[in-house]
Amino acid sequence: MLEIKNIKKSFGNKQVLKDVSLSVQTGEVIVILGPSGSGKTTLLRCINFLERADGGELTISDKTVNFTKVHKKDIFEIRQKTAFVFQNYNLFNNKTAIGNVMEGLVVARKIPKSKAAEIAKHHLDEMGLADKYDCFPSQLSGGQQQRVAIARALALNPDVILFDEPTSALDPELIGETLGIIKKIASAQNNTTIIIVTHEMSFAQGVAHKVVFMDDGFVVEEGSPDDIFLRPKKERTKQFLSRISPIEYNI
Amino acid sequence: MNFNDLFSFERLIENMPNVLAGLPVTLSIVVCAFFIGGLLGFGIAIIRIRHIKILEQLIIVYISFMRCTPLIVQLFVVYFGLPLLVGLVGIDINRWDKLIFVLIAYILNEAAFLSELIRSSILAVPAGQTEAAYSIGLSNIQTYFRIIIPQAGRIAIPGLSVQIINLFQGTSLAFLMGVLDMMGRASAIGVNTYHVIEAYLDVAIIFIIISICLERFFIYLNKKYSYSLIKGGY
Ligand SMILES: Nc1ncnc2c1ncn2[C@@H]1O[C@H](COP(=O)(O)OP(=O)(O)OP(=O)(O)O)[C@@H](O)[C@H]1O
Ligand SMILES: [Mg+2]
Repeated sequence: MLEIKNIKKSFGNKQVLKDVSLSVQTGEVIVILGPSGSGKTTLLRCINFLERADGGELTISDKTVNFTKVHKKDIFEIRQKTAFVFQNYNLFNNKTAIGNVMEGLVVARKIPKSKAAEIAKHHLDEMGLADKYDCFPSQLSGGQQQRVAIARALALNPDVILFDEPTSALDPELIGETLGIIKKIASAQNNTTIIIVTHEMSFAQGVAHKVVFMDDGFVVEEGSPDDIFLRPKKERTKQFLSRISPIEYNI
Repeated sequence: MNFNDLFSFERLIENMPNVLAGLPVTLSIVVCAFFIGGLLGFGIAIIRIRHIKILEQLIIVYISFMRCTPLIVQLFVVYFGLPLLVGLVGIDINRWDKLIFVLIAYILNEAAFLSELIRSSILAVPAGQTEAAYSIGLSNIQTYFRIIIPQAGRIAIPGLSVQIINLFQGTSLAFLMGVLDMMGRASAIGVNTYHVIEAYLDVAIIFIIISICLERFFIYLNKKYSYSLIKGGY
């Protein structure tokens, strides 16, 4: 379960998140849509404390923190409950595929190495990377790197997984397979909450329980995929959808 | 005067052991300057990266002094200046071995240059690496020692290679302070026997061999840790 109340974030005098609130149930998959610069990445980064929000409240499972008074310990605890899949993968360049997945288990979670290796192998196998355990990131394709990154996130068994445009750095022929994997994860997990920022509309429609449309630092509209894609209420949402995917919008 | 008076292979060989006896002194300067200087340089790099006030300003002045003055000047400044400086607080170090002053000068010089190399290598590690580490729950220190420093070390290898070879050759100035390193011994041989060339040629030969070995070693390191350079699998 994840709940955000009135989150605000400025860079200098530019307010990027103006007042965003969001509530996601355990096991739900929500997709965040919105034009470039609307604050989607910033929102995810604030949830994971890669960026420090200026105000608001965050609840993940049984842990609530107020952004105006956070301690190191809170940040650490929230990060233990969340995992982030980055647009450009961000695999550790000095570690092999299996090393990447084991790192958080061994160092942050203090799981013994042999057990961690077992968990890591299981998740890499799931991602179809059984023959790539010992490859360094530089020896993997973009699609493979992103799958290692997904395995790294899943291995930590987080309450919330944040995907920030997980396929936008991939070659077109790799996008489908990666989206397929995410879809599989989304339907298999029922105690993990998944938040995905993406521009892949048909994927969003197929995978989401709830779609959130953001613009200019606000949540403009949220609802079921059908509500947003077929019956958008706000003018801004209609505009955005007609521009980005006229076909789906016209169904 | 025949050619043999100027140069003979016998003397080249005869003098070799005597010159080689200075090698431990040369190497101890290199090792001390490189490792102690490296540790200091690491601390300095962290201070600069973290922008720690006052210390950072002092360090910037110190680094530009070290970079903008010849090593020989630094040697003299330490040799004559340090006793005066500590003399002010009533400590007499005039009786210290010359080698100690020389070591201090080389360590300070090396710390300045290595700190810049270390700093730029750390900054060259992409920010995404740190963020990924934080996102899987690593602490600041864990992130530094497990992710950033290994990658920065990898980036620094070619620069370290240049630096250590420069340092090794730079130690040849120490004899001007009266230290009996290889150069010191060669110049002593010259003074005693009036045959200068052979002893200096011995020094050159030793420098060449060791420089090549060092270079090879770093090429090997560079290959061994080439994970970030391999391209393949596409
Ligand atoms: N570290 C930063 N410093 C200053 N401005 C920033 C920073 N990060 C983001 N911004 C600004 O905040 C705004 C929102 O950025 P954000 O990355 O959240 O948008 P986004 O919705 O993810 O866009 P995109 O779809 O292009 O990824 C942008 O105008 C961006 O320039
Ligand atoms: Mg973004």
